[in-house]
Amino acid sequence: MIRFHNVSKIYNKSGKALNKINLHVKPGEFVSIVGQSGTGKTTLVKAMIGEERVDEGKIIVGGWDITDISQREIPVLRRQIGVIFQDFKLLHKKTLFENVAFAMQVCGGKPAKVKKIVPHVMKIVGLKKKIKNYPQEVSGGEQQRAAIARALIHRPKILLADEPTGNLDSLNANEIIDLLLRINKFGTTVILVTHNREIVNNLKRRVITIDDGTIISDQAIGKYIL
Amino acid sequence: MFLSFIRVIKFSLQDVSRNIWLSLVTVIILILALFTVNMLLTVKVIGDMAVEAIKEKIDVNLYLKPGASEDAILALKTKINNLNEVKSVEYISNAQALKNFKEKHQDNPEILEALRELNINPLTPTLVIKPENLDVFDNLINRLNALDEDIVESKNFTNYKALLEKINNITNKVTKAGIFLSAIFVMITILVIYNSVRVAIYTHRRQIIIMKLVGASNWFIQMPYLISSLIYTFFGIGAIMLIFYPFLTLLQPYLEAFFVGYNINLITFFYGNIFTIFGIQFLAAALINMFASLIAVRKYSRV
Repeated sequence: MIRFHNVSKIYNKSGKALNKINLHVKPGEFVSIVGQSGTGKTTLVKAMIGEERVDEGKIIVGGWDITDISQREIPVLRRQIGVIFQDFKLLHKKTLFENVAFAMQVCGGKPAKVKKIVPHVMKIVGLKKKIKNYPQEVSGGEQQRAAIARALIHRPKILLADEPTGNLDSLNANEIIDLLLRINKFGTTVILVTHNREIVNNLKRRVITIDDGTIISDQAIGKYIL
Repeated sequence: MFLSFIRVIKFSLQDVSRNIWLSLVTVIILILALFTVNMLLTVKVIGDMAVEAIKEKIDVNLYLKPGASEDAILALKTKINNLNEVKSVEYISNAQALKNFKEKHQDNPEILEALRELNINPLTPTLVIKPENLDVFDNLINRLNALDEDIVESKNFTNYKALLEKINNITNKVTKAGIFLSAIFVMITILVIYNSVRVAIYTHRRQIIIMKLVGASNWFIQMPYLISSLIYTFFGIGAIMLIFYPFLTLLQPYLEAFFVGYNINLITFFYGNIFTIFGIQFLAAALINMFASLIAVRKYSRV
């Protein structure tokens, strides 16, 4: 599903954000990428969605070499990869329903399709009763659920979660991880970027550990080792 | 595609309405620029009309002695008509001159009464000479001055050429000043539109990030800002049409008073050419505004 071949990214002369990264994520896998702040985790995510160009190596997503992806092709890639962030990135002047629908509307989704699919996805993430609420009227966990619903709206093969629990208490954080596991069960490849030790240790899934831009550990059923 | 286009227009209208003060300032600057351009056009039209009207009226009057015989007058008419510089010669007898005079002053009983008291025809026969064109006017005057005919009483050669040169001179100076002013306003418009789009993008920064994140095409992200610049142009042109016609209506009586006896009608000209004048202005303003928007969008929508 995702392959990194000797990928390096240099921001400045003092060091490499990514240093000869080699990794292979198979379809349907649930992979946690862990590491401390500033170790290159977010650069890795940005490289996967074409937001950051790498200086060396090759990145292949779903059989598509995206190393030198053009500006015109980036939207096509983004519809195949759902992304969620620590800060949810919701529009505060839109309801949760409108936030999710927005993702379909800006990609040309027809109103009838929007009306049919959005409530269905909202139900999957457990927000059926909150569709008319604005982001500021719901909890952080519910905001993240809405962000997940938006990320799932194009039925992506990959779901990238960059510190999705960073702004949540442990109860909400566990609920979000449960939701990600359920999505993974449906066949979506999930890549979870986090530095939450407890979550990673409880998952008992593959863990890739990055330190100073280099993969220092890749365990099939791993633990947070830093 | 059609649905996306409708959504682009919707986003664009939202952009204009949510930044209403900025939109208002942009449209006002655009109106100022368009007003200057239209003033320039007005001056040019008045200048051209005045020159054409004066050209039509340019003639040289050769006043003949009252007792000159008809044969001698017709012989002189033929002689002048044969000159290369002459387009036509019209003979107005003293009787015809008196008739024309009375018609011209029919509303002035004092003049008519004075004429009646004179009891004679004080007007002389005249040869009205039209030059072939304005370039040969000086030559014609020289030729007529060189005429040595007994029947010629006086020669009245108004210096029309100097008058035309004066009008052309004023028109050219005003045109130059107008072009300079228009250029300044066009530059200001470009900067204001550029800044409006920049601020609009900054306001919608979060929305643009999300749009990019969920896979909206660059076209879909950038297009609303280009449409916004078209909306500014549309309102600018609409406003200038609403402002300029009343302005012309106010100006027209002054023009008529200034150019007495000449047919100079700006309102008719602007009404007759409404689609050409404002259509071209819309196209030009739209192109300039979209150009400014495109640069701003390309530069600032990379979030």
